[in-house]
Amino acid sequence: MSEKPERIVLVGYGPVGARFVEELLPLVRQGAATLTVVGAESADAYNRVLIAEYAVGNADRESLDITDTLAAREAGVHLRRGVGVTAILRSRRVVSLSDGTLLPYDRLVLATGARANIPTLDGVTRVRRDRQIPPTDAATLDTSGAPLPRGVTVLRDLDDAERVLAAVTAGKRIVVLGAGVLGMEIALAAAAAGGEACVVYHGEIPMARNLDRGGGSVLARSARRAGVTMVNHSRAESLLFHQDDDGVDRFDALICADGKQIHGDLLLLSCGVGARTELAQLAGLPVSTGVLVDENLQSWTDARIYAIGDCAHVAAAPRAGDSTAPPAGGPSGLIGPGWRQADWLAARFIASVLGRPDTAALAASASAVVMLKAEGIDVVSVGNTSADPGDLSVDDHAAGCASAPLHVSQWADPEHGRYVKMVTRDGILDGFVCVGMPRTAAELTLLFERGSELPADRSVLLRYDGPDYEPEAGSAFARDATVCWCNGVTVGAIADSAEAGNTTIACIGAATRAGTGCGGCKARIGDVLERFAAATAESAS
Amino acid sequence: MTATATHCPYCALQCAMTLSSAAATAREADADGSASLAAAVTVAGRDFPTNRGGLCKKGWTSAELLVSPDRILEPLLRQADGTFEPAAWSDALDLVAAKLRETRAEFGADAVGVFGGGGLTNEKAYQLGKFTRVALRSSRIDYNGRFCMSSAAAAGNRAFGLDRGLPFRVDELDAADTILILGSNVAQTMPPFIGHLDGARAAGGLVVVDPRRTATARLTADGAGMHVQPTPGSDFVLLLGLTHIVIAEKLVDQDYLEARTTGFDAVRRSVSQWWPTRVQEQTGVPVWQLRELARRLAAGAARGAATGSGTYILTGRGVEQHADGTDTATAAINLSLVLGLVGTSHSGYGTLTGQGNGQGGREHGQKCDQLPGYRKITDPAARAHVAGVWGVDPDSLPGVGLPAVELLSALGEPGGIRCLLVHGSNVVVSAPNADRVRAALKTLDFLVVADFFFSETAVLADVVLPVTQWAEEEGTMTSLEGRVIRRRQAVEAPGGVRSELWIWQELARRLNSPGTFSAEAAAVFDELCQASAGGLADYSGLSYALLDSEEPAFWPYPVGSTGTPRLFLDRFAHPDGRAHFVAVTARRLGAPAQVGGTLTLITGRLLEHYQSGTQTRRVKELADARPEARLQLHPATAEQLGIEDEAWVEVSNDRGTVRCRAQVSTDIRFDTVFLPFHFAGDQRANLLTDDETDPISGMPEFKKTTVRVKALVEAGAHV
Repeated sequence: MSEKPERIVLVGYGPVGARFVEELLPLVRQGAATLTVVGAESADAYNRVLIAEYAVGNADRESLDITDTLAAREAGVHLRRGVGVTAILRSRRVVSLSDGTLLPYDRLVLATGARANIPTLDGVTRVRRDRQIPPTDAATLDTSGAPLPRGVTVLRDLDDAERVLAAVTAGKRIVVLGAGVLGMEIALAAAAAGGEACVVYHGEIPMARNLDRGGGSVLARSARRAGVTMVNHSRAESLLFHQDDDGVDRFDALICADGKQIHGDLLLLSCGVGARTELAQLAGLPVSTGVLVDENLQSWTDARIYAIGDCAHVAAAPRAGDSTAPPAGGPSGLIGPGWRQADWLAARFIASVLGRPDTAALAASASAVVMLKAEGIDVVSVGNTSADPGDLSVDDHAAGCASAPLHVSQWADPEHGRYVKMVTRDGILDGFVCVGMPRTAAELTLLFERGSELPADRSVLLRYDGPDYEPEAGSAFARDATVCWCNGVTVGAIADSAEAGNTTIACIGAATRAGTGCGGCKARIGDVLERFAAATAESAS
Repeated sequence: MTATATHCPYCALQCAMTLSSAAATAREADADGSASLAAAVTVAGRDFPTNRGGLCKKGWTSAELLVSPDRILEPLLRQADGTFEPAAWSDALDLVAAKLRETRAEFGADAVGVFGGGGLTNEKAYQLGKFTRVALRSSRIDYNGRFCMSSAAAAGNRAFGLDRGLPFRVDELDAADTILILGSNVAQTMPPFIGHLDGARAAGGLVVVDPRRTATARLTADGAGMHVQPTPGSDFVLLLGLTHIVIAEKLVDQDYLEARTTGFDAVRRSVSQWWPTRVQEQTGVPVWQLRELARRLAAGAARGAATGSGTYILTGRGVEQHADGTDTATAAINLSLVLGLVGTSHSGYGTLTGQGNGQGGREHGQKCDQLPGYRKITDPAARAHVAGVWGVDPDSLPGVGLPAVELLSALGEPGGIRCLLVHGSNVVVSAPNADRVRAALKTLDFLVVADFFFSETAVLADVVLPVTQWAEEEGTMTSLEGRVIRRRQAVEAPGGVRSELWIWQELARRLNSPGTFSAEAAAVFDELCQASAGGLADYSGLSYALLDSEEPAFWPYPVGSTGTPRLFLDRFAHPDGRAHFVAVTARRLGAPAQVGGTLTLITGRLLEHYQSGTQTRRVKELADARPEARLQLHPATAEQLGIEDEAWVEVSNDRGTVRCRAQVSTDIRFDTVFLPFHFAGDQRANLLTDDETDPISGMPEFKKTTVRVKALVEAGAHV
């Protein structure tokens, strides 16, 4: 433990940055480290995951609050908001801020997040972000590029969400370009709120990155049933505008490569996100689809710099002789892995600053489970689900092959909006798709997250969503059905007692104690007796 | 024939019963002794607001134990060869007193420990705390309620400033529109209680959260409500998620929050991260069900304000017996507060106390950090007041001791406890990591156990002191609704049996203790009332005369009041009068991969048995119905592991191994297995449970244990 407190600087105060701050507070409180947070947005960190909910009016602004900034301040964290970092001067170990100050660091954590991708469309100015030619103008580093035309928006921050919310509440027609999770959620929510929504996408199915063909087509069908217009196989090319009363152009229609014109009041570009890596790139750090960091979340080339969340691309650092091709993978774009990284890195910092033994290694992020948040439509998927039941079998698999063979189980009922595919290795899920079967999806998620073995009879899992699952199953008059819970008396025991001559509720109570607890079962005892009497009468006649 | 109005010896519902017996001298009058006494004592239900004249199987058969052939009828001393020999009371007590004195002289006062129980009367619980601190001068007292109510108690105290299991009357539940029960199987643990669920069931509003489809969960069938079946240990996240939905869907009672609470903002921020799909991911409960539940709770609360038929949230050990049980109970309280349930005339939050006097037992000084009246032992004013009543110097009272699991871990350790007195508890069966406890008890210099039977703990004792059963003694109990009730003597105790009050009087005298130790329950109660005056659990307006009039008596009952059936109507017990939200974070997420027979074990009770089974396993009708432990598991899991119904299985982890038969049932999740905790030997569920504890309450992790299950092939050896 050094004499002077360790100087930690965090760039970015989104949900992942805020989590990192919270977890690091004990260290700051005891004075072993100083923490300075630089955030370009002036609002407190908010829960970006719920931005779609906010955009369709299902959540209010307050419910997006996710962190107690006041508590952080009280603990001694320095918060610099509405200020951007313009450069990392690695040799001097300082960052320069847009207000001209220089901030020294011993450890620098980048949590700069991501921005929405703007597709190439005739009519939309796109800021060029050429990875080969790093930007040089610091002032433009942390903006989201040129303003979009009126009536066109992405959905990433609070202002975007308010634009969408205005359209949804006014019942406007919303055209969504891109059928990823976010696009589908907005379209479904807008339709549920009574608006008109249309989703335009390239391929055959929505959520093509997450779903197999079967799952995707069931989702498309369910979305149509929910009132969303689904336009597939459509490559958007340009925009048509009309003039508002004030003479400014406003979005009018999206024109596709095949000549289709799709009219609407608001165009929502939902074409994925890209990591904000410019700062790192400008500082000469290796960058691919995010800032390249190793399994300790440390930059490949500067051990004092770390990256977490949507801006981090975790990959093993190449050793001499390794391929120079960009590594596979990239930021997941999901909050769960980002929070795990924040928790882990804070714990690691605490351990190393206090001279304690290192915490356990960061668990390799399993593929993250993707869930569509829409009321009435349940889609959950994870992992590679392209395999089909006929594709592979144990027989085809070479003996002694290192990896166990994949097996696929599938249930498809598109008419009723239900589809499940489970891809397993050694009985453990490698991936799955589950549409329209919420309880099954929930169980599959648990099984996947834990790496647990599936029941050998996979159909056990499907039955959770069946109408026969709830406890009504079984006759109330079966001999082993319990009538009196207080005394554990069954139908059979009452019938036997009746046979022995106890034919009133009081007699049954005296003989078996049925009905002598809370008394709630006396009517049922009467029913059993009546049935018994009827049966005896019948057999007697 | 005399008829005595008393209450059941078992659970916290304390059903009213009438014991009829021939004159108390029946034993002497009859030639063949006990058998005729058995015939002479009969049990009948008695009309009372809680049980309305009904009893469960355990209550109906309770008198059988009065004449059990297993009864210990005189003090027993362990001999050099390990056997027990009877002894005269004076000799036994002389020996105990000598050992206590020696231990204290050689190792200090804290080398003597005391372990109490939640089944002891208020008088005994009070006197045991006083005896420990005044006569033994030891701080080392705690009790098995630590395994029971400690998490809910800690959560209630920090939220409301006061902990009374149900801050309302049980029969107020009758009018409820919606009742959410989490982690409690009342249909089996306190069956007559379920009569109070009828109103909510008729309204379609009974919701039961349990990984098993228990008898209680089945009460939700046929439109009576909903069963929510999360994976074990995910109840915390479930509650955070419900709170998230209530806030997100604007179902919050805003006026209530402003008028009656503080700290909501921190809770709002902390649950923001638990949006429904993320909760589904952790719990296995689908989003639609989460939303439906949250909406139902809120609708009930709104209806309550309009019509009086509100929403109640009740927690049981299933959610509280975790190493984060206090925070989990707090999450349930936070949900209740955002809905505006607590301290209204129509809705509420409560925890269902388990043991017979689990409520009173946690109020009067059996806890390591507590003095009578639910006072803190660290509070100088509390010490001064209680010391005044006891006639001792406040500075002579010891400070905070050790909570149960820590206390048991200190047995035989260097600087730890060398001599232990156990009253009303069977820790060899009921404590977590039970074999470790058993081994630790054996390292003691001296173990004294007071019981009616040779419990698994008594078997290890150096001295066993036979004590009175419920029908042989006077006293008071405080039931799950905070109602103080009278336990009355119906029969004479067998000649060689004594009450604990008498035993402590005798020991205190032998130890030259300051203060007085009455052997009369009524006198002890009067003193308890005085000692509790001004405390949170204030009994000072109570007396046997008042209780014997059968006036309802709900504490706080200060002098000059008529008691408090419903708490918090005007204010909460914190100095600012408000309920305090406490933001809590779920950190213990996930579970190990369930591969090759690795499963999550949960434990609980059966209808036929009570606690460690010391009593109920000796009642023939109950033992015949449930003679042994059965491991409940899902058919899909059973098939995978090659286990058939009724076949022998082995359940193990690195703490221990349980061998028992399987009970294959679709009433349990396929990732979960269940064992009842009432059985002895290698069927002790607590051989497997972890003694890791909650940092706030000291509650062990009873309800989420990783085990390996396999079929036992050499079954013959165990049949």
